[in-house]
Amino acid sequence: MNSINFNEDQTDALKEFMNISVGQATSHVAELLDAFGTMHIPKISIKDMSELNQVVVENIDKNLNYYVMKQLFAGKFGGECVFIISEDSANNLGAHLYDIENPLEDDITDAVMELTNIVTSSIVSRLTEELDVQVQFFAPTSKLLNASNIIDDDEVTSYSKIIVVSTELEFKDQNISANIFILTKDEAIISLRDLIDKKLEELYS
Amino acid sequence: MDNLKCPEVLLNSLENGHFVIDENFTVTYWNRWLSVNTQIASKEIIGRSLKEFYPDLNYRILLRKIKTALKLNTPTFYDSNSNTVFIPITRNKVTKTALKLMQQQVTISPYLINENKVMISIYNISELYETKLSLVKEINKVNQLNKILKSDKNIIDKNIMMMKTSTNGKIIDVSTLFCDFFEYERDDIIGKKASILKSGKLPDLVYKELWNTITNNKSWTGEVENITSAGESRWVQSRITPILNDDGVLVEFNAVYQDITNKKLLEVLYVTDHLTQIYNRTYFDGLMTSIALHQRKADTDFIILIADIDYFKSINDTYGHQVGDEALKDVAKVLKNSLRENDVVARWGGEEFVIMLKNTDLDEAQMIAEKLRANIEQTKIQDTINITISIGLTKYNLGEDTNLTFKRADNALYKAKESGRNMVVVEL
Repeated sequence: MNSINFNEDQTDALKEFMNISVGQATSHVAELLDAFGTMHIPKISIKDMSELNQVVVENIDKNLNYYVMKQLFAGKFGGECVFIISEDSANNLGAHLYDIENPLEDDITDAVMELTNIVTSSIVSRLTEELDVQVQFFAPTSKLLNASNIIDDDEVTSYSKIIVVSTELEFKDQNISANIFILTKDEAIISLRDLIDKKLEELYS
Repeated sequence: MDNLKCPEVLLNSLENGHFVIDENFTVTYWNRWLSVNTQIASKEIIGRSLKEFYPDLNYRILLRKIKTALKLNTPTFYDSNSNTVFIPITRNKVTKTALKLMQQQVTISPYLINENKVMISIYNISELYETKLSLVKEINKVNQLNKILKSDKNIIDKNIMMMKTSTNGKIIDVSTLFCDFFEYERDDIIGKKASILKSGKLPDLVYKELWNTITNNKSWTGEVENITSAGESRWVQSRITPILNDDGVLVEFNAVYQDITNKKLLEVLYVTDHLTQIYNRTYFDGLMTSIALHQRKADTDFIILIADIDYFKSINDTYGHQVGDEALKDVAKVLKNSLRENDVVARWGGEEFVIMLKNTDLDEAQMIAEKLRANIEQTKIQDTINITISIGLTKYNLGEDTNLTFKRADNALYKAKESGRNMVVVEL
């Protein structure tokens, strides 16, 4: 897997595409969920799978429980979006979307799922649109987990290199914040790099 | 069906529910699967609002999902694990089931975006969900058992002294009670050799036997004197069990200990003469009985000496009992210090002492007896009072009644007394 590396141009291009995608996601969330939030400029890194847990843990409070939504997307550029939101934030999100003070567990999960779906689809769709490839989304799955159990050991062994695109979503009015990790692995990374090269060629030819 | 781009027969043949709806919830397509499962015919529902048939559905949420699907041109979903089903469909399962209503996975896909129409697909995931529920039930049971196990483990940890070692004797784990008893911090003792506990007072033979037993995959039980981190003696009843893996290969040892320090102290008290702190007659009698009973060659080659303090009554009468007691203590001390490690000396009663010299021939025994006599002669009680002893000496004859041995030794002692005291007399 030594060949999995991005040069400066490729990294810059990916960052640019991600910035556009994240911007679009923010605007969609505002429009569809009536919540005006901000999303941080995404951080992009190529990591060993074994480092994923460290990356995730760095961004969250180890003592809290989190709703973890995972949504797969398939196509030439395929991967997995992991959406991590604390129990309190999820509760606030449920209250906001269902317009009730004490949302039920099902309402909270559904609300988190909706937000995940909007954010993931917006980011990935926009990125794949930029790269001119098709993408298919699958139904997200949800789990309420302790911070230490978000990435389990079995997951770590399944593949070697991953691209981690991480950003933070914040709705100050509703007191909601979440972390989003877009993960893609091995062949899909090479495929993404090829797509970026193609796009760069188009832009500069 | 005017807007449907694929043949109706295709959607009707699918084993899933599919219907087309717009932002006003007006149904424009309803496939055969839905007609069968909801008992609502397509001709009955098409052109009418879904609200008329399912008024309890949360239409605010549905509308948002429809709008999202249309806006993003991407599917939106309902949580398939939700306890609230999208469209209630009674299951016809007759045999045992945890689900009365069909569990559904619902996907809202953009269909005709310019007409604000979406296709809602309903997948029956009841079997999968039931399996999940039963799995969750089983996991809960396992968690419950683990909880009990953890609590039991906690009880064991606090109440049983345990140590696990690797096959080369390195400590892998110890219980809390073990740490408390031997005064170690768990982290300090893990990784150390188990021999760190050895008192050094037990013969190497004991450890050899222990090691041979456990390395032959058998359990060993015995009493061992160990030491704490501060070097204090602790007696334990120890049971060491080899742990084998599924292939019968030795992987570690498990030792369980029981504190018998107090029992050992009592045992010592039971066989010790309170005044002189050497063995008492009970111990010596036990030793002789055991020798006579087992008749082991290594044990039966010995000489018996009976030593008696000369004119002890006059010491008591002249200087008082306290000085008499001191004389007894001093004689016991001199005798013990003059003997070899393997020899045994005990207070026989009154001012009499009995000595067993092991694996000694008669000449050597006579020399030792003479040395004892001479050493006592040089001893002064309270630095002033001279004292002497008379000694009767005999050899134990293989197989004889030990009473006979004592009788001969006693006769010899009598002769020594008769012949003027402060001497050694032999009778064979």
